[in-house]
Amino acid sequence: MHVMKLKKVHIAMLLVIIPVILVLVIKNYTAYGPLLATPTARQEGDSHAKVTIVEYSDFQCPMCARIQPFTKELLRTYQGKVRLYFKYYPLTMIHKNAMTAAHAAECAARQNKFWPYGEKLFERQKEWSPLLDATTHYMAIAKDVQLNESSFQACMADASVDLLIQSDSQEAQARGVNATPTLFVNDERLVGGVFESEGARTIERELRR
Amino acid sequence: MSTSVKGGGKRVEGNANLPSTLHASPSAYALLLVRLLIGGVLLYAGFAKALAPAAEFAAAMANYHLFPSSGLLPMAWIIPWIEIWTGLFLIAGLYTQAAAAVASGLFVSFLAVMASALWRHIDLASCGCFGAETFSPHTTFKIDIGLLLLSLLLTYCYRRTWPFTVDHKVD
Repeated sequence: MHVMKLKKVHIAMLLVIIPVILVLVIKNYTAYGPLLATPTARQEGDSHAKVTIVEYSDFQCPMCARIQPFTKELLRTYQGKVRLYFKYYPLTMIHKNAMTAAHAAECAARQNKFWPYGEKLFERQKEWSPLLDATTHYMAIAKDVQLNESSFQACMADASVDLLIQSDSQEAQARGVNATPTLFVNDERLVGGVFESEGARTIERELRR
Repeated sequence: MSTSVKGGGKRVEGNANLPSTLHASPSAYALLLVRLLIGGVLLYAGFAKALAPAAEFAAAMANYHLFPSSGLLPMAWIIPWIEIWTGLFLIAGLYTQAAAAVASGLFVSFLAVMASALWRHIDLASCGCFGAETFSPHTTFKIDIGLLLLSLLLTYCYRRTWPFTVDHKVD
């Protein structure tokens, strides 16, 4: 009887240890996918910065909007040391306007006004998010940041812009991104609110390397 | 001629060396299926989260606005492993009743957290349940209710030993 109980404990120990080893081995051999080039209009900060932050974001995601002031603050604090790259990752399954918002932001990027346009998109997120068609809001923001409206309208009708957004999304998926916002501080992956608590610490650590 | 054995199976007298699983009742097969289902779901959910960075699950939990931020990362480390081990113990049928009780506890916790998010109309980008897979909160809620009922059934039934379990072989 005692031997049987011991046998049971041994099996239990095996069941506890085997998955731990399995996960460690898989994690060790899993590499992130490649990082593709980001248009200059969607980059901010010193081009020779030691630390790069790649942000995969969705304009309709509340947490993405929440971290924007924090990201700007980090760029100010670590001026010359950090460069930010913005990548589109619209969660179209749950955010019906995420794709069109990304499309509008890319149209602003083509007029070199991505950052002010994106900032306003995030600021007014609650106004345009619930709408069936947010085009009038996109146009209003375009006017606010002084975009060339006819070029912006032509760009909004250009389906090829969506391909670029999709390529960002595919890159994100290849890098194991499945939630927004996901930020890579060099190779360190931080997701959502964790960026607020760990972002500065991670940058400091990367700067010390 | 046969006699009933624990677990509802039938043992043919004179053939005591035959594995008892050969004579298991339909109920034993049904319970095995339920164990495989719940264990499989927990194992999948646990591995999906354990293989991703803990920060990802921590971020999904942060969206619920229920937990202190200092507790998010430790919880994100621990919960996937509770799921994995509970799933494995259920599938193997080792300490089956205890594993089923833990599974019930997990599903009750998930349901409570999900209900709270639905009640407060929180926009969840990801429920955090299955790593990369995103289900709507309503779908997840329904799935969790089904799984909770089944794991409660297992907790009740495995008060005694049934075939197709390590418990049955070893006890």
